[in-house]
Amino acid sequence: MVTATAASAGIGRRMVPFALATIPLVASIILINTFLFPGATDTIVSIGPLAPTWTGLTAAAQATLRVLAFALSVAVFSLTTPTDDLLTDLERRGVGRRAVFVIGAAIGMVPRLVERAGEIVDSQRARGLDTEGARWRRVRGVVPLAAPMISSALTEVEERTLALEARAFSAPPRRTTMRPLPDDSQQRALRWGLLVFVVVAVAASVSGALGIP
Amino acid sequence: MTAEIVVENVSFVYPDGTHALADVDLQIPRGHRIAIVGQNGSGKSTLVRHFNGLLRPTTGRILLDGLDTVGVHVAHLASRVGLAFQNPDRQIFAGRVKAEVAFGPRNIGMAQVEVEQAVYAALEAVGLTGQADTNPYDLGYSRRKLLALASVLAMRTPIVLLDEPTTGQDARGVARVQKIVSDLADTGRTVIGISHDMRFVAESFERVVVMRAGRIILDGTPSEVFARESWDALASTYLEPPLPARIGVRAGVGSTPTDALLVEALSQRKVAAS
Repeated sequence: MVTATAASAGIGRRMVPFALATIPLVASIILINTFLFPGATDTIVSIGPLAPTWTGLTAAAQATLRVLAFALSVAVFSLTTPTDDLLTDLERRGVGRRAVFVIGAAIGMVPRLVERAGEIVDSQRARGLDTEGARWRRVRGVVPLAAPMISSALTEVEERTLALEARAFSAPPRRTTMRPLPDDSQQRALRWGLLVFVVVAVAASVSGALGIP
Repeated sequence: MTAEIVVENVSFVYPDGTHALADVDLQIPRGHRIAIVGQNGSGKSTLVRHFNGLLRPTTGRILLDGLDTVGVHVAHLASRVGLAFQNPDRQIFAGRVKAEVAFGPRNIGMAQVEVEQAVYAALEAVGLTGQADTNPYDLGYSRRKLLALASVLAMRTPIVLLDEPTTGQDARGVARVQKIVSDLADTGRTVIGISHDMRFVAESFERVVVMRAGRIILDGTPSEVFARESWDALASTYLEPPLPARIGVRAGVGSTPTDALLVEALSQRKVAAS
């Protein structure tokens, strides 16, 4: 379902980095489940002290599918939904102004934090902090890098709070909506279809119809 | 005089495709005070970040005393080139002012006694001697900015880069920065400043380089760069000559980018008239 949605949105290729990012987690899931599944005795093959089992492999496959489905769902959502559209729609549907702001700030903060982290690293490197040398030297640099990051983030929160209040953020009237959302009948039909699919899938899973333990 | 910093045909393109520098050639002799000015995005900060290896040229090369900076770690170049960044809050981390200032000198392996001397000399230069044990976050923005400057001065590098050192400073703070630039030059150190404050530039630097869209469009003394003939070029990068320069042109006494030059020119005209 996720891959079909991605294909229909034309973002198949852009999903690849998201899928690749799961490799470390998926690899650990497969190794741990296949070789260390508790109580499993249906050994596939014995390699010295190692005894991978069919039960463990099956559990690993299920867990991997869940991880991939989750990661790729997040990818589809983030690649197809502009943040502004999401926030506008949430507010239009009655989600509280503060909640909408928190969600928007959290999403919007990521690129700013990345940019700020780059500036901090440059500042400390310019003062001779070795970020490329031996591991113990790099460990020594954690505080000079983390402290400005945290303090500037806290300062920014305080400044932003004051700036918001100064511009009537807490004022009681409902805010004027400036952004019409592009939402056609096809999108609405697809959303309802997905909702029905999720309900049916959950019901089938809970009732045991899918045969998933 | 041989050049301490040589920029040879340097171009730089950021990973997002932004062309920040285009075929820049520049020579900066040892002990010179040089200001780099231009509108935001003209390539000033990008250029100076090449001097300490934070950025590497896409094409061309940077030589420090004849040494190509390519392949030399920033941590090593930091002992030769100090860079005071525009925003002090991107570097301050220590719980006490003197520990913040000592960070750079310790990183470059300065002896302990020398570190202490350098820290107190730098604090004195920026007027923070009495705040050595204060938490940096208890200082106001302008003082945190001076603290960041002190933390670079304490490294005693032969080349000092100052990125917008007068931003947020009142007249007293600007005068203090001017004195620091002057004192650095008196000890034979090269000072390179980036600034939008044309008055500070004209008063403190002996050479002004004007950049636009990653290229150098003017390069000369303040009297040359702020002369009437250069105003159109300055305007093309959204810069205005300092007030004394404009008054000098209006009064018909030539290029007078500083108060002192303007007063001198007006005095000479008065003498000549009498």
